[in-house]
Amino acid sequence: MNSNGDDAAKVVPVRHYGQWGASFGAVILLAMLIHTLQSKVPSQTGQRVCQTVNGNRACHPLMVWRFGWDVVSRYFFSSEILRGLVVTIELTLIAMFLGIFIGVVLAVMRLSSNRLLSTTAWTYTWFFRGTPVYVQIFFWFFISTIYQNLSLGVPFTNITFVHFHVNSLITAFVSACIALGLNEGAYMSEIARSGLIAVDEGQTEAASSLGMTRAQTLRLVVLPQAMRVIIPPTGNELISMLKTTSLVGSAGVIELYGAQNNISSSNFEVVQLLIVASLWYLIVTTILSIGQFYLERHFSRGALRTRPPTPIARLQSDIRGVVAKFRTPRIAKADHS
Amino acid sequence: MTIPMVEAIGVHKSYGGVEVLRGVDLTVARGEVTCLIGPSGSGKSTLLRCINHLEKHDAGELRVDGELVGYVARGDKLHELNDRQICGERAQIGMVFQRFNLFQHLTVLDNITIGQIKVKDIEPDVANTKARELLARVGLDNKEKHYPAQLSGGQQQRVAIARALAMGPKLMLFDEPTSALDPELVGEVLDVMKDLARTGMTMVVVTHEMNFAREVANTVYFLDGGVIEESGDPRVVLAAPATPRLKSFLSKVL
Repeated sequence: MNSNGDDAAKVVPVRHYGQWGASFGAVILLAMLIHTLQSKVPSQTGQRVCQTVNGNRACHPLMVWRFGWDVVSRYFFSSEILRGLVVTIELTLIAMFLGIFIGVVLAVMRLSSNRLLSTTAWTYTWFFRGTPVYVQIFFWFFISTIYQNLSLGVPFTNITFVHFHVNSLITAFVSACIALGLNEGAYMSEIARSGLIAVDEGQTEAASSLGMTRAQTLRLVVLPQAMRVIIPPTGNELISMLKTTSLVGSAGVIELYGAQNNISSSNFEVVQLLIVASLWYLIVTTILSIGQFYLERHFSRGALRTRPPTPIARLQSDIRGVVAKFRTPRIAKADHS
Repeated sequence: MTIPMVEAIGVHKSYGGVEVLRGVDLTVARGEVTCLIGPSGSGKSTLLRCINHLEKHDAGELRVDGELVGYVARGDKLHELNDRQICGERAQIGMVFQRFNLFQHLTVLDNITIGQIKVKDIEPDVANTKARELLARVGLDNKEKHYPAQLSGGQQQRVAIARALAMGPKLMLFDEPTSALDPELVGEVLDVMKDLARTGMTMVVVTHEMNFAREVANTVYFLDGGVIEESGDPRVVLAAPATPRLKSFLSKVL
């Protein structure tokens, strides 16, 4: 029994002084950031505003947003920006689909027992990872200077079935898709390979023992389980691709970055338009991250006994946790009497 | 004389210079239970895996139901079977693994129907009915919506047996089916196997469960160092081993 006769002892939690100090510092910095974001400064043009109040004429400098939010909001939904955004999303999706397809094929080739296939896949990855994507974009943009014509036929003979002019077939947009997709394939192949390796060999053996062909085993058993390992880094690649598309602006495709660049080169509001583009990149990234979460959740079925909670469920449990923290914990004390 | 279900004559197998099987002769009659026993590394599992061609034997003759495993004889030449033909052979042989190897991303029911639907082109409704019958038979009819990770080892192994049986196999291979189980779960799996033996299923079982071998097996083979050291009726072989190797092996495991 303790002195006050209570059968539960009061628990004093550990005091995290360091954490508290750091949190205080973070709050101050955040407040400074918000303050500067919403601050106004005298216009750099030296413009003044004059008003007559009660017969007295007073003049003061024109105050404008430091970050030019009025300019940002004026261009945020402008048709040029929105058209660029659509092109950016198209480029990202096409390049990623191409990249994922190439990546899975390369990964399967890499794991093949055939040395020629695995070496081919390795060489592809070596080349496309080993040269800058910016260089690759321009290579495909200028491909028509190397090949003027393209034809489908029997190799090493004069027999051709279809004939194209490269310049009309490979537009700037097509060349950008090819460049980004082929480059992405190299990175995706490593991601897909790590996923395939992560699936236990016993799964393949069990599938074989049921009489599944190698293709069926891959499609029905190995790939669905590899997805769990493949999706998180692929989401990362997708988000990275979204921003890599800004490089093709210099190769003749007017995507989001190119669109803002076009506007700012005529009105010189450079930073404001960069903010417009950045906000759009952030919005799309946020949507993609949410999608990734639910995709990961879908492919985690069977791998975990309980599924990870949705963000809403997690928020609820966080709130419950914080509430519980403010209640004084009490531990029942053993009765020694 | 009827053709035996499995017939091995002088089967050899090596992994990178190490000879795991050094001329194994074995005959499994239809409807009989054969147990393979022996110390680890003796080649029991390798022999079992050669029977459904998960491993390719290097030399010797291996036949299942009279057909060569992995080859077809045309004239005086042996032609290797292609992927699809080997799959056809395997679909008729059920296999149960030490580590269950259930498909982790599929529910219990889907684990049992996937082979029927994708390999044997059975209608999903028919496959589901058959899967539920088999689940009831292994005592897990209330678990069809569970994922393997939510089941105990013993339950997973019973699902694995149901999955193999769903293909309607003519031969069942068991590779140490109870070795990865907690001792109190071994019994439930062995009971299912005993039931299966009573229905007349031809079974080849690699096992360390000597009581199971004694009770259920028609023939027991003792492998050591890649050869069959001793074989025969388990009641005779296990009770009065003729070779000193089996004698010392039994003294360690019993």
